[in-house]
Amino acid sequence: MERQTINKNKRVFSAEPTKLSPSEVFTRKYTSHLVPALKKLNMDKNSPQINQLTVKHEVDMALALSAQEFAWSRFLLEKLSSSNNPTTTISSSSNGTRIPERSCKEDEDGEIEEKLRELQKLLPGGEEMNVEEMLIEIGNYIKCLELQTSALKSIVQDTT
Amino acid sequence: MDLSVLERVKWLQQQQMVSPDFFEILGSDGREELKRVESYLGNNNDELQSFRHYETIDGCISRTSSFQIEQVKNNEENRVIALQHKRKTEGKTEKIENKKKKKIKTEDETESSMKGKSNMSNSETSSEIQKRDYIHVRARRGEATDRHSLAERARREKLSKKMKCLQDIVPGCNKVTGKAGMLDEIINYVQSLQQQVEFLSMKLSVLNPELEYHINELSTKQFQACFTDLPEAVSKQLMMVDASSFPLQHQESLDYSVINSIQTTTLGSKDQTSSGWEIHSQSLYNNLRTDSVSSFFSLE
Repeated sequence: MERQTINKNKRVFSAEPTKLSPSEVFTRKYTSHLVPALKKLNMDKNSPQINQLTVKHEVDMALALSAQEFAWSRFLLEKLSSSNNPTTTISSSSNGTRIPERSCKEDEDGEIEEKLRELQKLLPGGEEMNVEEMLIEIGNYIKCLELQTSALKSIVQDTT
Repeated sequence: MDLSVLERVKWLQQQQMVSPDFFEILGSDGREELKRVESYLGNNNDELQSFRHYETIDGCISRTSSFQIEQVKNNEENRVIALQHKRKTEGKTEKIENKKKKKIKTEDETESSMKGKSNMSNSETSSEIQKRDYIHVRARRGEATDRHSLAERARREKLSKKMKCLQDIVPGCNKVTGKAGMLDEIINYVQSLQQQVEFLSMKLSVLNPELEYHINELSTKQFQACFTDLPEAVSKQLMMVDASSFPLQHQESLDYSVINSIQTTTLGSKDQTSSGWEIHSQSLYNNLRTDSVSSFFSLE
């Protein structure tokens, strides 16, 4: 792939279209959302102290905006935009316990159902989907979460 | 309409589902056998009428896999018998949508292991291809064949397919077997990812005041970490914000997405008019201009 030299005042077009993997596209989008937003938070004179919740809000918003092709991002956006006061949209800190296993075979299906419901709660908007859709969306969501964590890690590392 | 078995087979042949060698293989003894079979089973014409789209050959073979196969010739007869059995029990299921089972693979294997069955396999594959527009479910031997259980089984198959996809994504799922264990793993993984995000955002909120000064290294380093194959000069471009007054870049999605973020990530002020975001973006440009990245921006 060839790149032309970039001049300040000229419009530049690359020689060939860029072929990026979806994960790269997502990471770029995500960082391009998050970093200016964080800068803006910094610049904002109204809130001199940056709240953890506001940062969380920005983080989630960036995630939702960068993954707009997925259904869960729509739900996440709705949740975030509907809340005036930024609240933690993903409350995961309290759910650290494992689901106790039942040895009875009759309960097996019920157990699986219960776990699927639990999974639905984790996914934003998961409760409104049926199980098949939800499983597909969970896969996308996990991928995006992984990319988000790696992006955040690199941001944090660079600032320390 | 009353069709004898032979006539039905002839009809199938006309539909190009059965090879013309079938009759030869049957031989004269076979035809007598067929007549015997027909009388044994009686006339199940109503159900048979609906078998236009049924995989007749597949039906035979899936049954024969559980039969004891001694002679080649006997197999043919067994197939026809099995076909009749199948037709009897699964007549009603033809009218609902079914899904094609992967047993066809095993059927192919049993097929290839038999001698002189190349003709049959050809007709089988052609019938498979013809049936693609229908979704078929195969009832295995000993399983219920009523509508609900078939639909239930199709649903379960879809679920297990998706679980397999998830298995590839979530690390450590391979060691655990069974749906419940895998679901557990997935739940724990998602929770841990979300906790990580929370923790990192907390860290970020503590470090945020220092963010501004490091934006330069940040832009280059993090993108280099992600995309090692891109040259550094290009990666710096990615901090560009406005499309209209800045050099056009190859990643168009970036421009509009950033503009959207300015619009939507402002807390507390919902009514962002178009002039409003321009002002905001201008302030951002001023900030970014001080960085070395801004060397790529055109000045207003």
